[in-house]
Amino acid sequence: MAFHHKILGIVTLLYLCLFLLHIIYFAVKKEKIITFIWILLYGTLGLHTVGLILRWIESYQHGIGHAPLSNFYESLVFYSWCISLILIAMKQKLKYPVITLCCTLISLFLMGYASISPAVDRNIQPLVPALQSNWLHIHVLTCFLAYASFAVSFVCGFLYMFTWKGIIPPRDTLDEINYRSVIVGFPMLSAGIFTGAVWAHYAWGSYWSWDPKETWSLITWIVYAVFLHARLVRGWKGKKIAVLSIIGFVSVIFTYFGVNFILSGLHSYAT
Amino acid sequence: MNATKNKPAEQVTPSGKGLFQSLQDFLASIKFSIILLSCIAFGSILGTVIKQGAGQDEYLSLYSEGTYRAITLLGLNDVYHSPWFIALLFLFAINLTLCTLRRFMPLFRGDKKVSVPEESAMMGTSMNFRTNANVDDTSISLILKGYRRVYSGVEGKVFQKGALSKYGVLLIHTSIMLILIGGFVGLVAGFKGFMILQKGDMKNTITIAGERPHEKPLGFALRCKEFQVSFYPNGAPKDYVSTVEVIEDDKTILEKQIRVNKPLSYKGIHIYQASYGSTPSFSFKIGNDRVTLKEKEAYRKDNIVLMPVRFEMNIHNFGPGVMVAYLDQGEPRTVWFLKNIERFNEKNIQGMPVRFVDVQENLYTGLSVSKDPGIWIVWAGFAFILYGLYINFFLYYRRIYIRNCAGGQIVAGVAMKNKEAFKQEFEDLRRKFDGISS
Repeated sequence: MAFHHKILGIVTLLYLCLFLLHIIYFAVKKEKIITFIWILLYGTLGLHTVGLILRWIESYQHGIGHAPLSNFYESLVFYSWCISLILIAMKQKLKYPVITLCCTLISLFLMGYASISPAVDRNIQPLVPALQSNWLHIHVLTCFLAYASFAVSFVCGFLYMFTWKGIIPPRDTLDEINYRSVIVGFPMLSAGIFTGAVWAHYAWGSYWSWDPKETWSLITWIVYAVFLHARLVRGWKGKKIAVLSIIGFVSVIFTYFGVNFILSGLHSYAT
Repeated sequence: MNATKNKPAEQVTPSGKGLFQSLQDFLASIKFSIILLSCIAFGSILGTVIKQGAGQDEYLSLYSEGTYRAITLLGLNDVYHSPWFIALLFLFAINLTLCTLRRFMPLFRGDKKVSVPEESAMMGTSMNFRTNANVDDTSISLILKGYRRVYSGVEGKVFQKGALSKYGVLLIHTSIMLILIGGFVGLVAGFKGFMILQKGDMKNTITIAGERPHEKPLGFALRCKEFQVSFYPNGAPKDYVSTVEVIEDDKTILEKQIRVNKPLSYKGIHIYQASYGSTPSFSFKIGNDRVTLKEKEAYRKDNIVLMPVRFEMNIHNFGPGVMVAYLDQGEPRTVWFLKNIERFNEKNIQGMPVRFVDVQENLYTGLSVSKDPGIWIVWAGFAFILYGLYINFFLYYRRIYIRNCAGGQIVAGVAMKNKEAFKQEFEDLRRKFDGISS
């Protein structure tokens, strides 16, 4: 087992700790725990970054140096990194620990799946020629920041469906955070699609070829465009917006996982 | 933010309204946009679920004959180029244009004169306060950092910031139109084809795939000087490189290595490294001649006619073999030659000894060749849309009105979006004003 695997293993455990800390907070309701949760989240993100960088360095030692953004394992690890980054970026808005609880749960699931599932190849693989491009970094970064923001939006939409006094934040707040995360995610998704299109132009000879991944990213883009118009033009609020954010995230999940496992196409680097 | 502006478009048609007017209203409505976007999304999903552009046999192996007929009738075997999908995109373009025009006409036509509202109107806004003394201009401009003065008069002043954000939506929508136009230009004036070259080959046409594949002259020729593939230790391809010469009027214009992600551009035509493969060629010794033939390449000399027709890498563990068709006194016959088996690698054809000596793999490079004059329009659309999204979501239009009145000033603030944050900013302002005037 490579050294970076150990670091990322510790990161997974830290996500588990974060999850447990949240539970403890809800049991004893001490504000100090919240402060500690945020400190631990910073620490986890830091170590997570170290793990990714070590994997990057190690790939150079194998003579196949490339950023750890190229296969399914690396994308899972990077996705959970992006979620933590978005959480920290939105810290001012996220005063309710139940949202960070759900998000760290998603991170924990992603890291756990990445390190346990037998279907995931954890080795560093060389880059096929199509991926040997600087567009890889900006394309993957923008796409996964979008996916991470949409995960926050989904959490808000999901929590909106329940009431639990003292734990689930007021509905207006959820609605507001939901909207805030979509206005971060939507431009990021747009940038992800556009960088992908420019890259496709240089790698495959056409910027749009209706490959399933491209098509599903467009569908996701349309869902969130509808979300924004429904809210800003038609003044939708509350439950309807929550439902839209859930539909949007289902589409995100399909774009990310579904296309690789169910449909085949140019983006089938995953397995 | 604009909940009321679009409402009239969706109201039930009043009796006085003409059919044309109500149709126009519907075409420009956000409801129609959402219906269209949903249809486009649904059509796109169909296109990812049903296999696109496959042959008849493949469909019949997946679906029943009736389903297959329905699929071809509805164009579901090529959703993204089917008339109904293109019609949806076209309707969407119309809807987007009308929607945008409606919304932004007032912005350009409207009375742009800025003025300070009456005292009562300012006191009626949700954010306002009074100062006890006059705050002078230099202090105001220090306090209102980031704001620009848009009006100044004896009765008061108006400051604003983030005015650009009003044009965010306009910019985004126009950019989407640009992308659609760019796509259309590419569809009409562009092409995409492929060219297969072996080392040393030269070609000046490309093959355009489709229902009726055809050759298209390129206006210049490409010659493959060299082609190399390299692999990683695990067998995955690492790099493929074609060294290609562009030849025009028998002159070599330029020479370049084409790799994946590093295309060659010449006269607006892009040439990409798309694939590679290999074809076998076979060496025979016929009499005393040594000849090399490709598959389906005929050899004719004297009364001998023969042609390799089929190649297998390994026949029943006997190694490579090639099936050769020949004429035996005018009668077509076939025979298998096995390279490694003494008894089967030589045969007399028409009295001449023919010996299968060797088989070579010849690498070829698959180049994708395309031209898209709309590409820069699309790129511009991408850039503008991102800028538009930024100014729309992350710049906030805010205005501060200051009116001089007896014994001090009235300050009022107006924000279109992110009002909570503005409330805090406005509280800060009040404190600063109070600090100076008291």
